[in-house]
Amino acid sequence: MWRFFAGRGAQYLLVLGLTVTLNFALPRMMPGSPMVFLAGEDVGFLEPQQRAQLYALYGLDQPQWRQFLTYLGNLARGELGYSFQRGRPIAAMIGERLPYTLLLVGLALVLATLIGAALGALAAWRRGGSFDLGTLGVAMLFESVPSFWLGMILIAVFAAGLKWFPIFGAVTAGAALSGWALVVDRARHLALPLATLTLITIPGTYLIMRYSMLAVLGEQYIATARAKGLAERVVLRRHAVRNALLPVATVFMLNLGFIASGATVTETVFSYPGIGRLLYEAVLNRDYPVLQGTFFIITVSVIAANILADLAYPFIDPRVRRR
Amino acid sequence: MTVAAQSVPLVPSRRPALGPVGWLGLALLAALTLTAFFAPVLSPHNPEETVGDPFQAPSRAHPLGTNDIGQDILSELIYGARISLTIGFLAAGIAVGIGTTVGIVAGFLGGWADAALMRIVDLVLVIPFLPLMILLAAYLGPSYWNIIIVIGVLVWARPARVVRSQVLSVKSLDYVEAALALGSRSARVMLRHILPAVLPLALAQFILAASNAILIEASLSFLGLGDPTAKSWGSVLYYAQVRNAFLSGAWLWWVVPPGLLITAATLGFAFTGFALEAYLNPRVRRGV
Repeated sequence: MWRFFAGRGAQYLLVLGLTVTLNFALPRMMPGSPMVFLAGEDVGFLEPQQRAQLYALYGLDQPQWRQFLTYLGNLARGELGYSFQRGRPIAAMIGERLPYTLLLVGLALVLATLIGAALGALAAWRRGGSFDLGTLGVAMLFESVPSFWLGMILIAVFAAGLKWFPIFGAVTAGAALSGWALVVDRARHLALPLATLTLITIPGTYLIMRYSMLAVLGEQYIATARAKGLAERVVLRRHAVRNALLPVATVFMLNLGFIASGATVTETVFSYPGIGRLLYEAVLNRDYPVLQGTFFIITVSVIAANILADLAYPFIDPRVRRR
Repeated sequence: MTVAAQSVPLVPSRRPALGPVGWLGLALLAALTLTAFFAPVLSPHNPEETVGDPFQAPSRAHPLGTNDIGQDILSELIYGARISLTIGFLAAGIAVGIGTTVGIVAGFLGGWADAALMRIVDLVLVIPFLPLMILLAAYLGPSYWNIIIVIGVLVWARPARVVRSQVLSVKSLDYVEAALALGSRSARVMLRHILPAVLPLALAQFILAASNAILIEASLSFLGLGDPTAKSWGSVLYYAQVRNAFLSGAWLWWVVPPGLLITAATLGFAFTGFALEAYLNPRVRRGV
């Protein structure tokens, strides 16, 4: 088991190293002054004093390898750089947005896993029936729908049309709400982005659960359970679903990277002020330092979530512990 | 990791039919490909030309209305099939080319080469690909070829895995061992004996990768990172979003049709790919 964790750890370190190297190399590989990419396109308007500050921060007058070390040192201290466009440190900008994304992505992941696993188990239980074929068709459809388009349709129907939900943002701008009213307001803003992200994440879990259930239902211990006269519901719950859930845990991990991508697009459509929206704003404004900082944080988050999932796996599957 | 040599027959005695799912997928693909091919004949207007007032509702002259600069939306969509499908095909070609090569080399050579290559595959699967693509696209600039290359270079991991597992079972077949016993060099065996055996599976992977690539291209274009000179379905949606089409009645003819086309193309590729995979390799049949 320790070898497994060591291998995984090395792999995550490699991903992190790759991300950092890419972030370091991209601005310096581009034609023209790296200053443009490190400070954004407004670099021409910088005061000489700010310029000197930048040079010192990134060590631009030093050889490349020294610059790389400086860069690593900055990252290790949580120094992600400074957005001259916004006049703010990037770490603070990200810190402000992160809770929104964690809320959205966390809820979507939990909802999608629960709904997807339940639907998949039922579909496999009634293999070939109308419920099975119906959900299978819908799942394939939702796996092919672009998430941003789904979001636009939900806005057009439920926000602009029926006016059940607000159109954009995370809170009503300018409204001084507090207590319960604030919670309701936030929940109403969260509803549509959450629905979008959940709907596009369900098919993956559903398909794996269904497939895994079909395999488990063919096992002999299921036949034994039935033969000893257990009620069908008990066989389903106690014997089939529990064992079929293991691959779902794996998909949960794979979903983390997928959902980071889905969140970027979904947050953009709904102007939901999370990390993904920040990434989009940075692209729009050609604010390269923010672009890099955001990408770095997204990668770190995905790796952190993967590590958590790895640590949780032995508790889910006792067989892993013995290996 | 060694997989015991299983005596799984590569060619089942009776192949299952392609099934309704496969045929539906093929029909969708055929319809879209024909649309792309005959775009100049089918579209009522030149998609790059201002042919009417902006923001028009559907009419006889413009069945899907006009966009923010008075271009005919139907014509944009018909020509968009060319861009979206081409990007899908080319990016999938790059991805499956890399994936097949990596899969064959890893599976055939085994040992440290296999371990190292599969580590890289796992690594690529962990990276959050859309944010990475946004980063690369933002630096490299929005261009048709950049999008194709970036998607291609990032989507090869799954084909590599599937091809490798197939290579492992092909490797132990008599004719491969015979070729090796006769003293053929590894490169020759890989090219002459292994490659033909995994090619059908690679084709199924190609189709699935194309479905993936079309969705990714749509997302990138929607975020404004598409090629401004090559209008795809995703970029039509980008302008619809920027002009807030979904807040007015215009969403019915400006937002719904391009999304349905993207879905149809993705579904067409996915259905065909899944059916083909099940048809070629009974072990991966998914009960579809």
